[in-house]
Amino acid sequence: MKLSRPSPAAVGFGLIWAFLIVFVVFPLVRIFYDAFTNEAGQLTLVNFQEFFTDSFYLRSFWKSMVLGVAAVFTTSVIGIAVAFLLIRYDFPGRGLFSYLTMLPLILPPLVGVLGFVFILGRAGTVNVLLMDWFGMEKPINFMYGTHGVLLVETVHLFPMMTLSVLDALSKVDPTLEEAAQGMGAKSWRRFWDITLPLTTPGYISGALLVFIWTFADFITPLVLGVQDLLAPQAYLNIMQFVDRRIFRMGIVISALLVVLAILFVLAARQYVALKDYSSLSYTRVQRRQLGPVMRWLAVGFLSVLLFISFAPQVGVLLAAVGRGWSLTPFPVVYTLEFFRQVSIETPRFIINSFLFSGIAVFLCLAVGVPMAWILGRTQAPGRNTMDALTTLILAIPGTAIGIAYIRAFNFPLPLIDLPLTSMWVILPLVLAVRRLPYTVRGSHSSLLLVHRSMEEAAENVGATKMRTFWDITVPLVWRGILVGALFSFLTSIQEASATIFLTLGGWEMMPFGIFTFYIAGSQSQAAALGVILIAMCALSLYVVNRIAGTRVGGLFG
Amino acid sequence: MLRSLKVLPCVVAGLLAAASPVPAQAQQVESELVLITPVAKTLTDPALAEFAKYAKEKWNITVKTSALAAGTPVAYGRIVEWKGRPEADIFWGGESALFDKLAEQNLVAKLDLPKAVVESIPDSIGRPKPIPLKDPKGFWIGTVLEPYGLVYHPKLLQRLGVPPPKDWDDLLNPKLKGNVAQCAPTRSSSSHATYEVILQREGDAKGWEWLRRLGGNTGIFTARSRDVPSVVAKGEFAAGFAVPSYMAFEDRLAGFDIKFVAPATAWITPEPIAILAGSKHPKAARAFIEFMLSERGQRVAMERGVFPITPKYRVQGAAGSTAEMAVEFTGGLRSYFDREVTNIYDDDVAQKRYEAVNAQFRKDIESVWDELKKKY
Repeated sequence: MKLSRPSPAAVGFGLIWAFLIVFVVFPLVRIFYDAFTNEAGQLTLVNFQEFFTDSFYLRSFWKSMVLGVAAVFTTSVIGIAVAFLLIRYDFPGRGLFSYLTMLPLILPPLVGVLGFVFILGRAGTVNVLLMDWFGMEKPINFMYGTHGVLLVETVHLFPMMTLSVLDALSKVDPTLEEAAQGMGAKSWRRFWDITLPLTTPGYISGALLVFIWTFADFITPLVLGVQDLLAPQAYLNIMQFVDRRIFRMGIVISALLVVLAILFVLAARQYVALKDYSSLSYTRVQRRQLGPVMRWLAVGFLSVLLFISFAPQVGVLLAAVGRGWSLTPFPVVYTLEFFRQVSIETPRFIINSFLFSGIAVFLCLAVGVPMAWILGRTQAPGRNTMDALTTLILAIPGTAIGIAYIRAFNFPLPLIDLPLTSMWVILPLVLAVRRLPYTVRGSHSSLLLVHRSMEEAAENVGATKMRTFWDITVPLVWRGILVGALFSFLTSIQEASATIFLTLGGWEMMPFGIFTFYIAGSQSQAAALGVILIAMCALSLYVVNRIAGTRVGGLFG
Repeated sequence: MLRSLKVLPCVVAGLLAAASPVPAQAQQVESELVLITPVAKTLTDPALAEFAKYAKEKWNITVKTSALAAGTPVAYGRIVEWKGRPEADIFWGGESALFDKLAEQNLVAKLDLPKAVVESIPDSIGRPKPIPLKDPKGFWIGTVLEPYGLVYHPKLLQRLGVPPPKDWDDLLNPKLKGNVAQCAPTRSSSSHATYEVILQREGDAKGWEWLRRLGGNTGIFTARSRDVPSVVAKGEFAAGFAVPSYMAFEDRLAGFDIKFVAPATAWITPEPIAILAGSKHPKAARAFIEFMLSERGQRVAMERGVFPITPKYRVQGAAGSTAEMAVEFTGGLRSYFDREVTNIYDDDVAQKRYEAVNAQFRKDIESVWDELKKKY
């Protein structure tokens, strides 16, 4: 279908582009403008010269790259192993494991690292037990340092790898492998020649996201006292406003994060675009039974993995109900006071979270579903650019988006004479922009499942376009759209990197509340709010999982 | 949208108010008040709650209060970015020099407090360098006195065989290696002020050498000054440098075993307060400041581990009260006006070289931290 006549479709098309230009392109352009000018507004390269001649910044840059690669490596090893086990083999508790191994992904920012410190810190449960029971003199430093950051990121992000690979694997038509087997190919040969190439796109997109996530996370390193990384430097420099020179360096680093994200996406472009590459259908995989020994090894591996993965949740839960917990393996005094304070006394965190995330999802649907349709069903001009923008949004760090919004929307708007940054609607807006790709992808991948021929068949027997849409397309795609929307909701309600820069008094969502309590030194309240958030997210994820099964992975890839 | 929705009840309330007889008091306040403040919510929340009660009693007005929590530099930066169209009414806490800077940019308004209130607060405290407690030009005024000192975890120190610290130098004890927590002076104004105390105490050369040695003993540079007492309270680290007294006291109130000590040369901040120029609720803002300086307001603050700003009051309460707990926690002191206060910190010197000290910290300590840990 062509969009040549000035139809409502053309208007919609224009509106979508307007949305993308105003809320994605413009802020990014603004941040680059800031990075390439000085306080007087003159164009200059001095900022970048300062960055690349400062040994501390260079070290931060280098360390960030190494950490990102290391996180890709560790999450690959764990994530791929889990994906293969879950999709190819049958063993006791497989269904339960497939849900539980997704859970670490919904660990909200800050909550994960705090939980880990409660369990594995210098005065955490493990060290206290070692010192009290085994007479160890000094605590083992599990957490403070780059290795601690790697541990937290690995546990948090391996499910992203699992989901991406899982999605790709379940699209591999087993008949291809059977054909190879029929022609006498050995198992490793089949893996190398058939399975690997077909799963590479899923893997690459997973790896890209793990890398960028690790690269852009500033909260985890800060809690663990690691400041010589790029993202914490961006945050710290921006968050001190007094020294304008350091402030500008924060913007420069954010711009650099964006440039790197663009470069990574370009490098991985042939794999991570929304392509019609994958087979149209998910296939039922015939699972193999594992032998008795292997079966228990699989269960054992997953159990140990989950034991470590759930350490932060346990730590946070203990901290949320413990009072004055210090240097004992578990809290001594228990209380529900903190839950009461964060939910009954100050319910605004919870209310704001639902309100803003709800509006964000609505915006995602309003913009994302038509976008998916344009990408999947039309030859409209500029759809490749639109596709590239969608991928880019996934890759741009929230920190950079938050800073870009602050810089870009801080001028009074005509008519209302208020800057957008003073209106609460900026929060649902930034959330909608950041989570838009999930809705687009969810809708797009389910549109791919509806073969165009089905709609054509309906039209041939006389159904109107509207009728075709409601009777054929909608019943086939609503699940995908719903899953995309739920996933947008789930990730919006946890967002804390862009919103931290934009929140004003009274707009606090749960992650910001957690952050404020933590900043105010009230770790127990932070933990209590964290427990509530985790519980809500676990519930939404359960619903997503029930509806979508393994297809959640398609949202990333 | 929300804004216009908010207006509706105000209009309704306005109509109702017009219908009912106007209260006798001439001075009315607005029904909303927003603070932007680095002061932790454990002090701002009770102060605002008590103020709301007071406003209800005095004017029968329900004031909706809120506090926008932000570290000193962030709060300052946001006020500057607001360019005279502030999202808050009051800036509370931080260094008085920053308030002077805001006054220069016309971003804070004159306070116009009653003369008796202003005069109840002495001009300054401490020798040889007096610490100003109010602005002679009337743009800001001190609210409480609050020392930046040391914290420690008694049980952990005992395990390490280290006696409780009394002065800054005790943090250099080799047995504390890897067990000291501090926040970088580039990130925290209390840390920056305390770095200046060390530098001005024995001169730059010796001062930096001392600070490098402290770096060698440091186990963590936290992201914010508030994290320092937190990590010590939890037992993650044994001692902390440059901690505002009330922050540590909050951890004590939360049930942690943590102790505070203010060395003789510790700097004391008056936690200045000012009304932002262009504030939407200037009357409520002025009423809040007057309230904080009244006995009732000062008592709220004294319950949280800080000291009165005027010689009129002393931290005192029934046995077992929070106020008495605070007295015990801060080493038995009830008022800074009870004794000679030593201050060697010169804010003019500090403000002139603010960025230079930060730059030297980055070069001499932050970027060579790993080497410092090996060297000392």
